[in-house]
Amino acid sequence: MMKQTQKSLKQFVSNFYLVLILIFLYAPIMTMMVLSFNTSKSRTQWGGFTLNWYRQMLSDPNIVSALYNTLLIAFISAFAACIIGTAAAIAIESMKPVSRTVILGITNIPMLNADIVTGISLMLAFIAFGISLGFKTILISHITFNIPYVILSVMPKLKQTSKSTYEAALDLGASPVYAFFKVVFPDIMPGVLSGFLLAFTMSLDDFIITHFTRGAGINTLSTLIYSQVRRGIQPSMYALSSVIFLAVLILLLITNYKPKERKQIPGMAPSNSASSAPSGPERNRFDQIQKGAMAAAAVAIVLSVGFITIKKYTAADSNELYVYNWGEYIDEEVVSMFEEETGIHVTYDMFETNEEMYPVIEAGAVMYDVVCPSDYMIQKMMENNLLAEINFDNIPNISQINPVYMEMSKSFDPQNRYSVPYCWGTVGILYNTKRLAELGVAAPESWNDLWDPALSGEILMQDSVRDAFMVALKGLNYSMNTTELSQLQEAKQLLIDQKPLVQAYVIDQVRDKMIGGEAAVGVIYSGEMLYIQEEAETLGLDYQLEYVIPKEGTNLWLDSWVIPSNAANKENAEKWINFLCRPEIALRNFEYITYPTPNQGAFELLEPEIQENKAVFPDIQSLENSEVYRYLGEEDDAVYNSLWKEVKSR
Amino acid sequence: MNQPLIDLQHISKHYDNTMVLDDLSLTVKENSFVTLLGPSGCGKTTTLRIIGGFETPDTGKVIFNGTDITSLPPNKRSLNTVFQKYALFTHMTIAENIAFGLKIKNKPKAYIDDKIKYALKLVNLDGYEHRSVESLSGGQQQRIAIARAIVNEPRLLLLDEPLGALDLKLRQDMQYELIRLKNELGITFIYVTHDQEEALTMSDTIVVMNQGYIQQMGSPESIYNEPENAFVADFIGDSNIVPGIMLRDELVEIFGAKFTCVDKGFGTNRPVDVVIRPEDIDLVEPGQGILGGTVTHLIFKGVHYEMEVTTPDGYEWLVHSTDLFPVGKKVDIRVDPFDIQIMNKPASEDEEAIGVNE
Amino acid sequence: MNKKLLSGPYILWMAGFTIIPLALIVYYGMTDRTGAFTMENLMAIATAEHAKALWLSLGLSLIATALCLLLAYPLAMILRLKGNRGGGFIVFIFILPMWMNFLLRTLAWQTLLEKGGVINGILSFLHLPPQNLINTPAAIILGMVYNFMPFMVLPVYNVLSKIDDNTINAAKDLGANSLQTFWHILLPLSIPGIISGINMVFVPALTTFVISNLLGGSKILLVGNVIEQEFTKGSNWHLGSGLSLVLMVFILISMALIAKYDKNGEGTAF
Repeated sequence: MMKQTQKSLKQFVSNFYLVLILIFLYAPIMTMMVLSFNTSKSRTQWGGFTLNWYRQMLSDPNIVSALYNTLLIAFISAFAACIIGTAAAIAIESMKPVSRTVILGITNIPMLNADIVTGISLMLAFIAFGISLGFKTILISHITFNIPYVILSVMPKLKQTSKSTYEAALDLGASPVYAFFKVVFPDIMPGVLSGFLLAFTMSLDDFIITHFTRGAGINTLSTLIYSQVRRGIQPSMYALSSVIFLAVLILLLITNYKPKERKQIPGMAPSNSASSAPSGPERNRFDQIQKGAMAAAAVAIVLSVGFITIKKYTAADSNELYVYNWGEYIDEEVVSMFEEETGIHVTYDMFETNEEMYPVIEAGAVMYDVVCPSDYMIQKMMENNLLAEINFDNIPNISQINPVYMEMSKSFDPQNRYSVPYCWGTVGILYNTKRLAELGVAAPESWNDLWDPALSGEILMQDSVRDAFMVALKGLNYSMNTTELSQLQEAKQLLIDQKPLVQAYVIDQVRDKMIGGEAAVGVIYSGEMLYIQEEAETLGLDYQLEYVIPKEGTNLWLDSWVIPSNAANKENAEKWINFLCRPEIALRNFEYITYPTPNQGAFELLEPEIQENKAVFPDIQSLENSEVYRYLGEEDDAVYNSLWKEVKSR
Repeated sequence: MNQPLIDLQHISKHYDNTMVLDDLSLTVKENSFVTLLGPSGCGKTTTLRIIGGFETPDTGKVIFNGTDITSLPPNKRSLNTVFQKYALFTHMTIAENIAFGLKIKNKPKAYIDDKIKYALKLVNLDGYEHRSVESLSGGQQQRIAIARAIVNEPRLLLLDEPLGALDLKLRQDMQYELIRLKNELGITFIYVTHDQEEALTMSDTIVVMNQGYIQQMGSPESIYNEPENAFVADFIGDSNIVPGIMLRDELVEIFGAKFTCVDKGFGTNRPVDVVIRPEDIDLVEPGQGILGGTVTHLIFKGVHYEMEVTTPDGYEWLVHSTDLFPVGKKVDIRVDPFDIQIMNKPASEDEEAIGVNE
Repeated sequence: MNKKLLSGPYILWMAGFTIIPLALIVYYGMTDRTGAFTMENLMAIATAEHAKALWLSLGLSLIATALCLLLAYPLAMILRLKGNRGGGFIVFIFILPMWMNFLLRTLAWQTLLEKGGVINGILSFLHLPPQNLINTPAAIILGMVYNFMPFMVLPVYNVLSKIDDNTINAAKDLGANSLQTFWHILLPLSIPGIISGINMVFVPALTTFVISNLLGGSKILLVGNVIEQEFTKGSNWHLGSGLSLVLMVFILISMALIAKYDKNGEGTAF
């Protein structure tokens, strides 16, 4: 009897452990599902229940095309890997031990190698071979890392297959090919299927390798999500993932539980049955994996076919325009309006940082016609002869741009020949009034207030070299474009001193974290202010978020449209720029992006309340000490980078 | 020696909804060779696992040498098991396998080394200490499994179909080997098999089991010659089991013919089952026997001929004989009285499973 | 028909997309911008910030690997006892979550761990003091364990499920208690799976840059972040390749370990 209770205790402990593991694995998934019903875009605030994101997910062309790419790549790569891998497994099985060891060793490389190394090495190879990065490079990469999964799933099945059945088939007059497909293949089918399932899942879940081998202009769900991390994930992404997840779950449940499990042979303990039917449990397990694979494949096929029909194929003609812009930096409607009006087909791609964009343009792997970099980067591109002069005759709407901003542009484009301003803004400190009051800290006025020990763990800094150094340099009253090593060392030391106080180095997540009340102060780009204020109001937060431009001055930044020197459709690019300079279009974009617009026509169309919002439109004259970033040249860039690395690795 | 070494008292065991053992009682005397014999699923392995401690009975007690060990874990029981498919530790050498139990008991190294040598010699594998398990053949692995068990000097050795995976010739060799070992070591063996020949060859006592019940227990001779029910008769060797009517003591009517037998006490005019072994049937010229028939089938088996004789009622008698009777020949059947075994007819299937023990 | 010909496409594929790319990393890693041979990119690992990042990566990924093993082993044992249902369980437990994107899953941990996040919400509900969870090394370790544990469970489960029950019974029969059985029988027999699992967890954990970005608040610079930045921000591909080559040393050690302990490929995860 004691043994019985011991046994049931053991049973309880093991079940309890299983439940804990399940919670650990599924807690994040449940969180995502809950967030998919959240009215607020914020990940930390509950704004009420909505089904909007589910409605929106299929109307967002970015998401639809990313989903389409993801599924198509997963399906084709898994399929191709199955063919190549199964053939290889059969060959390897018949090889001599030595060559088998060598081949299996090579097979292990993509599995054991770090994803980052695999991704980078493939990227280097594609560039060396002159294969432009895009859909096919992702596909090749996925096939490469999928083949080993197939081989390793098929090999054990091949080992179990008895040679004599194949020989029996030959003996009965079958040709080797016929014998293979009728006799051997059915035996290894479970292995091939589970290989397919694994390959499909791995492809679906991959981010790192895709990140390095995708060209600009193509996104899978992973890379789309990564690009959204900084600006805040679109909740329709959660909705889509929840749908995919649930579809697979339901299919798995149906396939696993519908047919009743075969009863065990009466009177045989599970361990005994091993002798009579060694393949029993083994086979059952593979049955399940097989069913899983079929379920997955079914979902994939249904979804892919669905999206092939949904996805609009616009016939590619010579009237093309390749746009390369920041993520979430345009109202998607505007692109369609432009296409409708001009009949030009736009291929729209996004980048997340200037530094990410630069090598793409430099390498010319994709020939973009119009790009929207920031001030200092425009200077760098100009100095490296990557930009074409704009023919302003084609851009009559340039007159709508407030001359103040054309003047500002001169700091990087001295003769206003290469760039047309699109958005501008300042960098300042966003603070949570309530939190500061709790901490007994006064509202910040100076960058140096970010070194107040009372703010320990309450500070969000920008995760980029120049912005971080700007804060320190301005606090020291130096120029943020300084190249004086002593000044930079001083700034570096300050940043190191500040690090223990910093909660996190982030980019656009400042917005969501501040709305969520995660931190008291954060360095932020002013463009986010309008959104933050609106969101704070709709969520009914019990604290206020205020914006201040520190008295030492700040970074005045400007993102402008430029045309790369290798642009193939320069005139279309100019049409594009001209179109965006139209006041009503600029207004539309402003309302979407909420970053201050340099377009005077659009400004005048705004409600007075917004025109006078100093957080959004500060008086330029009041920003005497502020500067625009300048490109410092490769050497000084390297100095900044290595100093920053020192800060980060502390 | 009066006290049994193993005394199973009213053991029941079920998995899920299937009864595997139903109120089974069994005693095993010290120094005997007991074989549990039965078809797969009869509960013989479960019985062994209950003795070994790998299963706990739902009800009932396991008494080992007078002590109740029902809830004692296997590692505390002073008996050892030789497993089906040997269950050798593949990551250890032969010597390490054999030393395992002794090391667990913290025996001195010199003692262990001696024991390994002794055990290997006993199983005729001297010098195999440092070989790996995989390098041995099935028969050799089997010997190692036995050596691994016996170095612990158990009073009782449980063997779970140990020869099942070996080929015929090797199996026969190992049967003699096991008998020799048993005699040399003087320990008690409980042996599980579904092979009746193995059981008949090696055991002092055979326990025939079916569907969780003991059907018959006794010496190999009594099990073979005097099966107590149709199941035992059928399972052990070939048999002709035919319906008959016990006219009175020592006279039974089969298919209308009257046979003299030696059984008594079945009453008069009672329907019974009659068991006649094929080798106990004498074929004689028509008119010289009791029941007439025709030879319908003939196979030469080496030692004897196997024939089928069909009697007018349609029954095909299996007959083993060294005399040849060609197909189509009319013959008569004759059986010596002491070769006829009379059994009660089971009233129902359940009763058939329970057998005559109840 | 010669069966070996079937491996032709595979061999070509691996040559083109595994061997040559790796050769290119070696080339980039050992040259400078002008194409001249240099060891500088490899030596760069010794500079203070790189060495620190590498040490930190090694430390965090070792802890994460150990935790994975500690969590996965009992789990694999439990699943093994579930018999043939164990395999189905694995599909549910580990394969299914992969259909929810890796980045989203990791981001969800942000929501759970943040100051105002779910876990602190539960803590405050229980009147316990809030904990600083996010942007700490512990959060990175959690992310690693969460994302890479399947790669530990699968190979360990695979070897464990192949161990015959009677092998364990035999050990008990010979007098070993549960602990001794585990130590002398189960553990040694599962070494191939453990080694394979350690590799499958350690290597991606060592080289991750996403997890440290998302859960470490970019405050903690791992060697993966350094390499990623050299390629995407710093634009020094030669240095990035050089550091990747240094990482390859650890991967080679992995492969050697596998070759030693898992000769028959028993421990392969899938």
